[in-house]
Amino acid sequence: MASSPTNDPPLPPVKLDPLAALLSYLIPGLGQIYQGRVGKGLLFFGGLYLLFFYGMWMGQWRNVWLPDAEDLPPVAFARQELGGAPKALSYRPQFLGQFWIGAAAWPGVYQYATFDKTKDEGQFFGKFQRMPEEKELNELQRNGNKRWDLGWVYTVIAGVLNLLVIYDAFAGPMFREPTPEWLTNESESATAEAPTPATAAVPPDPPPVDTASTPPPADAPPAVPTPAVKEGGAP
Amino acid sequence: MNLPLFAVSIYWDLPVLLAVVSLVYAATRHDRWDKIVHEATGWGLRITLFLAGIGLVLYLLSTYL
Repeated sequence: MASSPTNDPPLPPVKLDPLAALLSYLIPGLGQIYQGRVGKGLLFFGGLYLLFFYGMWMGQWRNVWLPDAEDLPPVAFARQELGGAPKALSYRPQFLGQFWIGAAAWPGVYQYATFDKTKDEGQFFGKFQRMPEEKELNELQRNGNKRWDLGWVYTVIAGVLNLLVIYDAFAGPMFREPTPEWLTNESESATAEAPTPATAAVPPDPPPVDTASTPPPADAPPAVPTPAVKEGGAP
Repeated sequence: MNLPLFAVSIYWDLPVLLAVVSLVYAATRHDRWDKIVHEATGWGLRITLFLAGIGLVLYLLSTYL
């Protein structure tokens, strides 16, 4: 398919960067900082962590967790009974969005993996991102002026926004622009590839011949009078 | 003057969400700061107008209906 001719400068080919994507998953903006886009990386880091932890603060630090679903009623999906993490996610689908904030949500995964219902706290993170008891959850929702619910919405939005940040680290922004270095290299290579016009060897002017004194040869064609060029352009 | 809208503290949390969403979304679309700020301002205004419109409708419905 032929591309439509535009006056836009040529763009460098998209260079995929899986390592930067992984870094941006771990900590928002870290992949951009690794790529040298430090300002944008800091914006992502500050913005998304602000949103995520502000949301946790609104929910009194008790709205990010993956529940222990062992004792909960069974859940079926496509005639298959779910177990383990899929079952836990079906009871707390918010965590599917919160997870993408990266390492900041890993305590929730750790608490889920090491959950012991006989204890009040986890062994390493305490109650941080640990499933709250039903009584505590009811009190939070009853007395929280709806901020508890709005808080988990903030954390989910932060996680989902980090998916865009991960993609930005992986393949660049949606609207790319050529860097000055790329434009310089491109113009240099275009100049080198362009065919150079062949310089025709111009023969030296013949010596002037006095036509008045020299008679034309016998086999020469008769002279055709050239029409006078009228100044003034097209008729 | 007693405006119930301003008495509810939940609305004061929205500017944080609005600013971060606008800035981060705009920054994933562009690399140049002037374009990021321009696009973030546009998105911020659109979201603010949308939320304010919804809030006004709900306020009027709850007050006069």
